[in-house]
Amino acid sequence: MPTDPKVNGVQQRTGAPVVNASTVGEVIVVTSGDGSLRLFQPDRDPLVFNTHEGVILSMARESRYLLTGGEDGRFLRVSLKGEVEEIASFGSKWVDCVASDGEHFACSSGRVAYVWSPDRSQPVPLEHQSTVGGLAFNARGNQLAVAHYGGVTIWTRRGIKWTKSVLAYKGFHASVTFSPNGKFVVSTMQENALHGWRLSDNADFSMSPYPAKIKSIAWAGNAPYLVTSGASEAVCWPFKGKDGPMGKGPICVAGRKQIVSCVQGFPDVNGVLAGFHDGTVVLSQIKPESDAVVLRNATGVEVTAIAVTETGSHILIGDAEGEILWFKMQ
Amino acid sequence: MNAQVPVTVLTGFLGAGKTTLLNRILTEQHGRRFAVIVNEFGEEGIDNDLVVDVDEEVFEMNNGCICCTVRGDLIRILSGLMKRADKLDAIIVETTGLADPAPVAQTFFVDQEVADRTALDAIVTMADAVHLELQLDDHHEAEEQIAFADVILLNKTDLVDPAILDRVEARIKKINPYAKIRRTTRCDLPLDEILGLDAFSLDRITEFEPDFLESDHDHEHDDDISSISLASETALDYDKFERWFSTLLRTQGQNILRSKGILDFQGMDKRYVFQGVHMLMDGAPMGDWPEGGQRTSKIVFIGRDLESMRLQEGFDACKVA
Repeated sequence: MPTDPKVNGVQQRTGAPVVNASTVGEVIVVTSGDGSLRLFQPDRDPLVFNTHEGVILSMARESRYLLTGGEDGRFLRVSLKGEVEEIASFGSKWVDCVASDGEHFACSSGRVAYVWSPDRSQPVPLEHQSTVGGLAFNARGNQLAVAHYGGVTIWTRRGIKWTKSVLAYKGFHASVTFSPNGKFVVSTMQENALHGWRLSDNADFSMSPYPAKIKSIAWAGNAPYLVTSGASEAVCWPFKGKDGPMGKGPICVAGRKQIVSCVQGFPDVNGVLAGFHDGTVVLSQIKPESDAVVLRNATGVEVTAIAVTETGSHILIGDAEGEILWFKMQ
Repeated sequence: MNAQVPVTVLTGFLGAGKTTLLNRILTEQHGRRFAVIVNEFGEEGIDNDLVVDVDEEVFEMNNGCICCTVRGDLIRILSGLMKRADKLDAIIVETTGLADPAPVAQTFFVDQEVADRTALDAIVTMADAVHLELQLDDHHEAEEQIAFADVILLNKTDLVDPAILDRVEARIKKINPYAKIRRTTRCDLPLDEILGLDAFSLDRITEFEPDFLESDHDHEHDDDISSISLASETALDYDKFERWFSTLLRTQGQNILRSKGILDFQGMDKRYVFQGVHMLMDGAPMGDWPEGGQRTSKIVFIGRDLESMRLQEGFDACKVA
């Protein structure tokens, strides 16, 4: 039974922690540490597909498909019908990160990012000095950001050639993301901080300090805002105008006496969903002093994934013990 | 929440027998679920489903502390392993022959997620009885691996005269008098003497008391790693100690490899227990003093150039006036 009377939904338990959740239109796809991939859609029973042997470490949407990377060394493409295609296999090496802009797609294993272009069967290997922490394409698909120790490398494609420029900043950079307009790139760090760059002039800025490591980031709202976990509130950095968050503070919403472990934007309403270390999930508008609505009460288990269908009709919550809650917004 | 998975760090020079020990752990029927993290450039490949190959990556933290380094690959791999469906009973991390054990240990102090889900169990160092003396002369890494160890397996003892064996053991004790030394021929000892020791838990520090005060201060030359232990039957002042100790770790942390202590602070009912690796330390009030018995504060340092740090003087100044 759902823990909150406002919620009326379906609960499922996987055999391992929920790792990731992605939205494909009205379908939500969830991965977990047991190698299974689950599909949830309105008015249909959930579907379960077995894909990887062991943990699915990463997932990205590629139009109507999902790309996944696993500890079994395989890089897979999975259709919404559960058809699995192996794109590449790296043997005993993990596939840590995957990304797609809908046309190009990429994965990383160790220090190398591999990029596939639509007209070529073989990937282009892009090497780095240390293991890749994160991958992201920009919306135009002509740039790939790769986070690693010592900074972020921006690879720019001209024809079939990729050329690099390195944005250096001391420390290990884990995940990385482009702002929706492609003008900024932001990484999460091993330290409790984010680091950002404006690509027009490489001006950089730190967004810190946080009380905990930032494990989850999402673009949300109308500014747009980069919303992050890692504090007792959802921290929302505005990326409006040419300066982005430089010289501005964040808007902090959904504050509680717990650390936010997972964030997700809520479509259309300038809203954000924040999942906490104790399992609570709240919805708030991104504006100062807005009241947050509790969607699910505390369960005692850390929220590890949140996803919303494109129309905002349904929400999925996954946690560190493999509990999945799928419900209709009232 | 799930209990923390214990992580054993296995160090030792090339040829000391790490691979033999790992193969034993991987093939023996012990009914426990292990994951073994090995370096992909190790001496010989180990082909087994339980093995995860990594490329050792030592990362400096961007926190202004030059000796605060962590193993970036471990943070990534441990976080991945914790997502598995099957809960592991133990994780074993093999380091390369020349690796400094500090970044591995520091990873467990620095990364909160690693610290929440896993616990550093012990540092086990394999030493080759035939070659250790030479290695100690030639490589400071060999000395560090001995200095960091909780358990030292003195292996290949069948290839060395008993007299030489005693000399090697004495040399080990001079560097690190607090490690347990186990003599083996082909890594043949029960696995529970190297796994599940809980050597880094504050709880267990109080259990190695018997050896705690046996130490000598012999020095051959300044580069040598040695140990110093200090004791006081007078209670200590918490504020004074905090000031002295944090300054000490900040300024001398690079030369202090490990530190441990059980302290009697005035006004505190419980024993204050701590342990540190270089500049990082973890401490908490833990367990009662024996009723009616003498409360003796004890502290031990293993490191280089300890004599110059005026440890006795600093420690004495923390006593309640």
